[in-house]
Amino acid sequence: MSTRTLSLLAALGLGLSAGSGVAVAQTQPAGPSIPRGADKKPDFSGIWQSLSGADYGLEPHLATKDGPPGAGVIEGNVIPYRPAALEQRAKNFAARATADPRNKCFTLGTPRGIYNNEPFQIFQRPRDLTLLYEFGHPVRTIHTNGTEHPDGHIDFWLGDSRGHWEGDTLVVDVTDFNGEAWLDRVGNFNSDALHLVERWSYVDRNTIRYRATFDDPQVYTRPWTLEVLLYRRLEPNLQIIENYCATQEFDEYYPVPLSKVQR
Amino acid sequence: MDMRNRFQLRRRPVPAVLLGALAVASVIAPDVASAQGARAWRESSFVPTPQGEWNGPRLPDGQPDVSGHWSNTIGNHNNLTDPQGPFGADDEGPPRTPRPNARQPKPRNERAPSRVSDPPDGQVPFQPWARAKQQEFMKYLNNPIKPEYVEPFARCAPGGPSKSFMWHGYEIRQFPGYVVFLFDSGNRVIRLGAQPHLPANLKLWNGDSVGHWEGNTLVVDTTNNNSKARLGRSGEFVSENATIAETFVFDPSGGRFTYNATYTDPTVLTRPFTITIPNRKVTDKDPGDDWNNLTFPAKLAGNQPVGAPPILEAYERVCVEGNGNHGQVVAADDTQQLNKGAEKK
Repeated sequence: MSTRTLSLLAALGLGLSAGSGVAVAQTQPAGPSIPRGADKKPDFSGIWQSLSGADYGLEPHLATKDGPPGAGVIEGNVIPYRPAALEQRAKNFAARATADPRNKCFTLGTPRGIYNNEPFQIFQRPRDLTLLYEFGHPVRTIHTNGTEHPDGHIDFWLGDSRGHWEGDTLVVDVTDFNGEAWLDRVGNFNSDALHLVERWSYVDRNTIRYRATFDDPQVYTRPWTLEVLLYRRLEPNLQIIENYCATQEFDEYYPVPLSKVQR
Repeated sequence: MDMRNRFQLRRRPVPAVLLGALAVASVIAPDVASAQGARAWRESSFVPTPQGEWNGPRLPDGQPDVSGHWSNTIGNHNNLTDPQGPFGADDEGPPRTPRPNARQPKPRNERAPSRVSDPPDGQVPFQPWARAKQQEFMKYLNNPIKPEYVEPFARCAPGGPSKSFMWHGYEIRQFPGYVVFLFDSGNRVIRLGAQPHLPANLKLWNGDSVGHWEGNTLVVDTTNNNSKARLGRSGEFVSENATIAETFVFDPSGGRFTYNATYTDPTVLTRPFTITIPNRKVTDKDPGDDWNNLTFPAKLAGNQPVGAPPILEAYERVCVEGNGNHGQVVAADDTQQLNKGAEKK
């Protein structure tokens, strides 16, 4: 049985019985065939995309006019909201057409940018990973050079990301959120007090297992975890095409509207 | 919006706030950057770096190592052809609110030369109708009675291939096959090697850039330009038929580079023209000035070697809301009326 098959089985096991397969999946080496940098660490460079549909709703949901059904990406299926936060989510849901930051072309934030339906590109150096998202074309840096979060709370859309390696798993500590981003299209959210821990690991050379654990006592009664797989986009000559979504509302006025110029 | 600690803890405020403030402040006071202490970055003359060999450090993939934080050394985008002068030639231009302490610009021959290095007169070789349009844009910059008069940069749009080098300091990151520019308003990826361009009908704010290294020079072919970004608040522009041949000529010392961009656009121009902009690397010796040098020393873990030079970082570059009305020089209510009026057309 190949390493790849083992990894896939581990991944399947995760989906069927979350919890029992987790430790296996994280300690199972992804094998010698994964890309590695000069520092021998796994090299995640490439263009990646989630097929999870998680952006349509992190929790299990049936199809609506908003999007397709999904079995959810959360261990335990349900986000453990505090009562007041659950009310806030209901308000978010009711107002989602105008209140979802995505519909205002705002930066999606972390981790929503990872499992959004558009691709993102990872550029990697020993000192950091540069994540370029297609939607809005913003860049997130994951520092892997031993530096720490800056002092104080800073309101970042994408958070402040400091990573380190645990074997072949990149573990990223993310703080300093602005609390304005949503987690999906149906109003799931976090506060600026969120402490997110990501775990990035190869399943095989073209698949990344992405796990994110949310700790935010203002909003949730306990930490909770989501997991999605990221697939390498393999189309020839594929590139991230800038999607400065926010410019669409005034695109028509520029450049010089030649048809209106007296020639 | 949670404003907690925003101004206490960030040397540079949230860009959305900052952009609005800067856009307004700079329109009113073109020397705002000097007022902020960036005078050391305002050179009145410079010697373009010549193309040649690269004998500086290289990355493992063979590229000259030019990664790091950089900034231009002559000024901002108020005026393309007189970077340290007032708006427009001969002090013509949009009305400005005089400031009590505003410094008078130096005589023209003591200010940095035009960014237009060719033709020799330093002016964009516009066809007559296009020159009239540029004058119109400049005239209405502070009084945008039509939506097309609002400088798109003030709406968090990307600066475009050239004007991005006339604004805040920026970062270059290099990877096998790529040179990536992180600007405060938009980001730009240059793909290296024999890469095909995107289909020609896809027009982008920062274009589609394919490049290669020749000695000390990054040679870039930029197509697919939507040309929606202006070339300065002074109103210069090209059309979406423009192509740009760029060279980034790096001094092997690693401390400077010269940016050259030759625009070809028969729709707007009578002949090609070239923009030239000097740039210098930001070092840990440069004081932070909220404009050219946006870096700060990273917080080091306890196990970092004592005495090692600081690692420079910059804050997240997200022109967050990016949603239109901030940064414009008319009141928000007026702008909303303006946009509503435009929608009715």
